[in-house]
Amino acid sequence: MSATPAPSGKTPPLVRLTGITKRFGPVTVLRDARLEGRAGEVHILAGENGAGKSTLIKILAGIHTDFEGSIELDGCQVRPRSPLEASALGIAVIHQELSLIGPMSVADNIFLGRMPTRAGFVRQAEQNEAARHWVRQLELDLDVTQPAERFPVATRQLIEIAKALSQNARVIVMDEPTSALNAPEVNTLFTLIRALKQRGCCVIYITHKMEEIERIADRVTVLRDGQWVGTATAAELPPAKMIQWMVGRDLGEQFPRRAPHPGAERLRLENFSVFPSGFSARPAAENVSLSVRAGEVLGLGGLQGSGASELLLGVFGAYGGATRGRCLLENAPSRFTSPRQAIESGVGLLTNDRKATGLVLSESITANATLAGLRPLSPWGWRRPARERQAARATTGPMRLRAASLENEAGSLSGGNQQKVALAKWLQIRPRLLLLDEPTRGIDIAAKREIYQLVEQWTAEGIAILLITSEMPELLTLSDRVAVMHRGRVTAEFSREQANPESILEAAMGKISRA
Amino acid sequence: MLKQIMTLLAGLAFAASGYAQRTYTIGMSQCNFGEPWRVQMNADIRAAAAKHPELKVIFKDAENDSLKQRAQVEEFVGSKVDLLIISPKEAQPLTEPVARAYQAGIPVIVLDRAVLGDQFTCFIGADNKKIGKAAGQWIAKRLGGKGNVVELKGLMTSIPGQDRHEGFLEGIAGTDIKVIFQADMKWMEPDARREMESALSRFDHIDLVYAHNDPGAHGAYLAAKAAGRDGIIFVGIDALPQEGMAYVAQGILDATFRYPTGGAEAIDTALKIFKGETAPKKIVLGTRLFDKSNVASGGEALP
Amino acid sequence: MKSSSSWKSALASPAGRAFLALALVLAAGCVFNADHAFFKIGTHRDTLRQTSVFGILACGMTLVVVSGGIDLAVGSLLALAAVCAAKMAIHWNWPAWEAVPATLAVGCACGALAGWVTASLRVQPFIATLSMMVLARGLAKYACGGMKVSTAVQNPDGSYRYVDVPPLFKAIDHRILGGNLSVVTVIFFVCVALAWLALARHRWGRYMFAIGGNEEAARLSGVPVVGAKICAYAASGLFAAVAGLCQAAQEQQGDPETGSGYELTAIAMVVIGGTSLMGGRGGMGLTLLGALTIGYLDKILSINAVPEAGRLVLTGIIIVAAVLTQRRGRT
Repeated sequence: MSATPAPSGKTPPLVRLTGITKRFGPVTVLRDARLEGRAGEVHILAGENGAGKSTLIKILAGIHTDFEGSIELDGCQVRPRSPLEASALGIAVIHQELSLIGPMSVADNIFLGRMPTRAGFVRQAEQNEAARHWVRQLELDLDVTQPAERFPVATRQLIEIAKALSQNARVIVMDEPTSALNAPEVNTLFTLIRALKQRGCCVIYITHKMEEIERIADRVTVLRDGQWVGTATAAELPPAKMIQWMVGRDLGEQFPRRAPHPGAERLRLENFSVFPSGFSARPAAENVSLSVRAGEVLGLGGLQGSGASELLLGVFGAYGGATRGRCLLENAPSRFTSPRQAIESGVGLLTNDRKATGLVLSESITANATLAGLRPLSPWGWRRPARERQAARATTGPMRLRAASLENEAGSLSGGNQQKVALAKWLQIRPRLLLLDEPTRGIDIAAKREIYQLVEQWTAEGIAILLITSEMPELLTLSDRVAVMHRGRVTAEFSREQANPESILEAAMGKISRA
Repeated sequence: MLKQIMTLLAGLAFAASGYAQRTYTIGMSQCNFGEPWRVQMNADIRAAAAKHPELKVIFKDAENDSLKQRAQVEEFVGSKVDLLIISPKEAQPLTEPVARAYQAGIPVIVLDRAVLGDQFTCFIGADNKKIGKAAGQWIAKRLGGKGNVVELKGLMTSIPGQDRHEGFLEGIAGTDIKVIFQADMKWMEPDARREMESALSRFDHIDLVYAHNDPGAHGAYLAAKAAGRDGIIFVGIDALPQEGMAYVAQGILDATFRYPTGGAEAIDTALKIFKGETAPKKIVLGTRLFDKSNVASGGEALP
Repeated sequence: MKSSSSWKSALASPAGRAFLALALVLAAGCVFNADHAFFKIGTHRDTLRQTSVFGILACGMTLVVVSGGIDLAVGSLLALAAVCAAKMAIHWNWPAWEAVPATLAVGCACGALAGWVTASLRVQPFIATLSMMVLARGLAKYACGGMKVSTAVQNPDGSYRYVDVPPLFKAIDHRILGGNLSVVTVIFFVCVALAWLALARHRWGRYMFAIGGNEEAARLSGVPVVGAKICAYAASGLFAAVAGLCQAAQEQQGDPETGSGYELTAIAMVVIGGTSLMGGRGGMGLTLLGALTIGYLDKILSINAVPEAGRLVLTGIIIVAAVLTQRRGRT
């Protein structure tokens, strides 16, 4: 995979941030950071979580206005004081958290705040026509009068891009745009990004996925601990070197494969179906049969909508009794009807969205880490704060959690550290079976490696793990066996030796190859 | 003419259903059943009507809602009651429905609160100013023309509150009585107790408390008792049997002045109308004074 | 320099801000001090007494608000409990050990019912407790036939006989420590302590914080969401019944109209303290500060005989100002 040749060094920068320093109270999050984007290039902004990427972007987007340093756009000094000013200057930011208003129509969302009006009344037909134009540019086929919330996350992401295009933005910032997209959608997005380059836009792209960097990067800027480390063309910056820049140390190319620790059968599903929206609707997972042994990691592969997440939630009892089939935990029938039952039987579920369903962000790290296992820590219902702190230290300690104090709010931590707290919560219950749904989503490479090590350690202790991940290398590295799901059904199962990216992707796209 | 036809129709209806003796149905629209004073008014009407077997009274509760009361008046007109008694929530919104009932030939007795204009048969009500003045005069006499008084006012944004205040000032005019503290207690006992506590902590010498209603006076009494302050005279208004009269009988209040409900008078007037006599357009009810000496014997009528 | 920075860090916490609000109100009391009434011990005893009923309601409200809900029914439940208590203690001559548990059970059951409607039937707390507010007011009026339940008892023939104030009511509306502390204030502090224990030291308190912070995450962590919510509303009903008992004892009667609008004062106390109406943040200590702030504000306005209109305007402004400083502290 070769990167598009970088534009010549003589092209004047379209946007240049220099000497950016930003403090939040006593904490300096950016120190003399810089970033320079040229017209017609894809510029990757890389760095670990907490490196200051998001803050830098927020300064460019006019969200943080109180900073030192300067921003030049086309050689002119600018200082956007609000997102509206930034978009008037031609800077569009597609945030990680989507900013569409669910109940409003796609067209209304695209033209929010600048709708065509006559005497104060929105000219609906004109607006819809314009919206259709921009949506078609993305090769999207959708009804712009429908509420945005009706569409899947991937489509909503593309609607955001349509919105940016309609603003005639020249600098387009994308903050991990592919985190919710499946492979064909990613291809569409990349085609689009190439088209944007052709028009002379500068795309500033934040990602953790090495594969994406290889595919679209022209140049890369790396930040570490709020400071600029370096900028180089993609050709000059092989992955190993980039990782070294990001983490400040050489981590080696790839994580070694786990040693297998096979044990007795822990979980067995027989013709297990999950009905998240009631028995009358289509099941999200249908007649799934699989088994996981103690000390084993069963990887669940699949694209968006495969039903793997729903399968885990169904096993965990999160949909109440809306499941059918058999679920055996160490040969005992265990069709749980509430998460509480599952937890009492030693099953933990790490959800795929730590902010929405994983953590109580307003609570302390200790409170979160002990939430699932509070019962044994509070005899007769009375809490023992000292015991809780001790328990939280015991579970978070081996994870190298970076927090000033365990009494800090979980919301104040970076993504990787939040994920560690969410994992600590499940270790607290001494699980027999761990269901991990995207355990490394949105966290930096160093933290990922730490989580891989933890998985290794847990399986060595005999915990059975059912793992979902959308990252192929992770799936291949961590899994002892791989089951692939497509539209609610298991379409293939591979042993560790058989598994390879091509056959997994084939099965995930629906080709049935199960023996 | 219309009235005659109505009577004729009513007569036919009764003849058809086989009733020999003429009975009268009275519709009573009460603005709410929640306040004890209005519950008392209903009780007075019921008690007075019970003495006349030919009278049947239908009560409706407007739940403090002018529009609901308006609908109820229209329902009564629709069901062709022989007479309508209404204690309106507010004057303005109910003037028109009352006028329409009156024009439809139904005699209307308006109780307590007035409606605008003259499209009704008879208004029966008490005069808060007069009651306030009577209280003021009694207080002036009792204190011998001088002393420190705390006034716990109802709600000064309400007409009864204003009238009871102004009447009181008229009653004590020309004496050396000083109102040293006054506050709104919103007709509520807990609020009265709270305001009285403030007065007690500010003033070491208080001769008398004049409250715009009996619960207010009771709250003030509780505050003074809790503070161990004896020798204060408590005066209230309303004199309901289970409130003010009970407090006087128990020695909590020294005097209370009745704010009459007019329930009995309304039934008397209704009977007059049914007999074909003309009722006066306006009846102003007098107040009664209740103190320790006369509470058992039913109080003393004041002009 | 050093002291100013430690001041700043103290004010950065919600508790520091709640203290500041209380201190400002107390300072205002020292300045607007008609007839030196503010420096008399009786004034403070009375302030605490009249704050108590509202404060007890605020204890239950804190539990509910922390778990992400709101309870509009407490004022009506107070009236229902007051009527029940008066009926049992005055008319039926029940001894305290029967009347008190029965009254508390009524409040607790009504609260639990509202909690069940919102937690199990998934009706929004605002609507569920609004319905309970109307229902309880109706029950209160029904229980007493629309008349206050007082020491004047109607005989079958329509005349009245007068009975003594029951010993239970006398005991509650009593003062101890040489007349310097009202018993209702002691009850208030006991309620604060109980609510604090539940929230800060009990497992279910942690559950309430977790539900208020992120209900779905709490559910997926095995928190008994429905049970904990019902618990919060039942506790709120229980505290409302305690408040109703205190109200009845202080009025020496059960008034079905009493307590209307008290729920708003209780909510204001919770919010001024710094507990977030969004749920998940706050605490009982904060509510105590908030209750004292509003109580003292009320007392100072009363001592100075500020007219009703002015009181409402000033109270409104101060609530908004206090809540704004609280919010600024959070961002």
